[in-house]
Amino acid sequence: MVTRINIGPVHPSTHGVLRLVVDIDGDTVVKLEPHIGFLHRGVEKLVETRMYMQSPPYMEKLDYVAPMSYDEAYVATVEKAMGVEVKERAMWIRTMLLELQRIASHLLWLGTMANDVGQFFTVFMWTFADRDVVLRLLEEASGARMFYVNMRIGGLIRDLPPGFEERAEEVMDHVEKRVKKYEDFLEASPLFMERMKGVGVMDREKAIELGVTGPVLRGSGVDYDVRKNNTYYVYEKLNFKPQLRSDGDCFARYKVRMMEIRESIRLVRDALAGMPDGDALGMPIKLILPSAKNRMVSVSRELPRGECLMYMIADPQRPYRLSIRAPTFINLAAMSEISKGCRTADIFAISGSLDLVMGDVDR
Amino acid sequence: METPPYDKERFLNAEKEMSALVRASMSKYETKPNVMFAKLSEVSKALSKGLVEWSRVRSLWPLQFGLSCCAMELMDFGSARIDAERRGYLFFRATPRQADVMVVAGWVTKSMVPEIKRLYEQMLKPRYIIAYGECATCGGPWWESYNIVKGIDQVLPVDVYVVGCPPKPENLYAGFMKLQKKIGGEIED
Repeated sequence: MVTRINIGPVHPSTHGVLRLVVDIDGDTVVKLEPHIGFLHRGVEKLVETRMYMQSPPYMEKLDYVAPMSYDEAYVATVEKAMGVEVKERAMWIRTMLLELQRIASHLLWLGTMANDVGQFFTVFMWTFADRDVVLRLLEEASGARMFYVNMRIGGLIRDLPPGFEERAEEVMDHVEKRVKKYEDFLEASPLFMERMKGVGVMDREKAIELGVTGPVLRGSGVDYDVRKNNTYYVYEKLNFKPQLRSDGDCFARYKVRMMEIRESIRLVRDALAGMPDGDALGMPIKLILPSAKNRMVSVSRELPRGECLMYMIADPQRPYRLSIRAPTFINLAAMSEISKGCRTADIFAISGSLDLVMGDVDR
Repeated sequence: METPPYDKERFLNAEKEMSALVRASMSKYETKPNVMFAKLSEVSKALSKGLVEWSRVRSLWPLQFGLSCCAMELMDFGSARIDAERRGYLFFRATPRQADVMVVAGWVTKSMVPEIKRLYEQMLKPRYIIAYGECATCGGPWWESYNIVKGIDQVLPVDVYVVGCPPKPENLYAGFMKLQKKIGGEIED
């Protein structure tokens, strides 16, 4: 007999206000339907009424776990529309800050994910303490704790403060040690392994078919990373390789993210070592910006959650239309497909491993 | 005293018999039992009034309920750095029936209002609301959006506002301290 149950929109494990309507037969999921829209506020429409550089705060609130990544994607779109070159040093600093943001985002994901699969608030407390150390670095570089708004056309709002390199090195050493500790702790836990291994399997073909991106795609063994395939800034000069796992289950996605933290640490170190001297400041907001030259631009970026594509039709002073391909929206669409046939308790292991941010899904 | 043998009728009438026994034993005393119990309850009420208030102020259980951005800072508030439990802002409860305080963290959309209302109705009285962040206070940057309620105070009574976008977890800590003072009667509305 098939029973229909409702989960959410307020549920401690849905990471926001996701509502799931699930048909279950005994303890097996027959059909899962995500209902979204509880956070919809029409960002794309609001942006059309704002001048170009009034919009970054709105962009940051899309993905509030990794705000700077979205901010940067938007500013890069505007830069492309205006045909502005980014200064050399600003490119290096942006790369480094984006990777720091990726580390912070993955650490938050790890804490909440471990919460969902039974490591009740132990790993959460640890990762939040470590995330805070990384956030403090970002605060130092940009002046804010959560919503940075530090990208300007052609550069940044400010250069790195003196002594930043040494402190960043210290933090990177610390995080590297801690990541190893998390892995040792979690993978020694039979509970964690039972709930992650072989759950929510998405094979290579299905992953490509569903259009998922980011760590979810790389967990299914597809070698696609925007930083490598459609490179931007100084990623081609830095030494890193996309992390792949071929299993396609929740554990593979977890492992990919853990390896990505390590890669990001390496990228930050490389970027700090090779950073050129010079000017990194962008245009102040108060000046009238150069009006947009290119009518239609699109920029794709690798966010911590997957590929974001910003497509903009540009008017001289404000966007005529901005369309955002949100990574988590597409990843959420994969959820009903891969959770067919799993147990009811595994729904949250799957939703956690997809790393959903509802602000990004609903826009 | 010898226990009497089991008797079904007597078993069924046990309550009557017990009250008869109590009445008989109480007849020795000068004050009647009703009066005595009334006085006792008065004394305990007077004693417990302060006690209840004291314990209510010092054990506020927030509801685990995050809407958007500010929920990240709310999670940080619950983590080890702030260590909110030392002042009695205890562990986040997953069900509204066990919670005293609802921290509305994030923008309130029109589709979310019925859900928030239902959560609020499920909480036991006395219940408190903290509006955390710019969006929950007044709509914030989404003021012009077509799907946003301009502050949670348009639908539910708010006790403490914490402003900022987003406020730091320390600010929420200060907000909780203010709520404590309000419950304790130190500050008025």
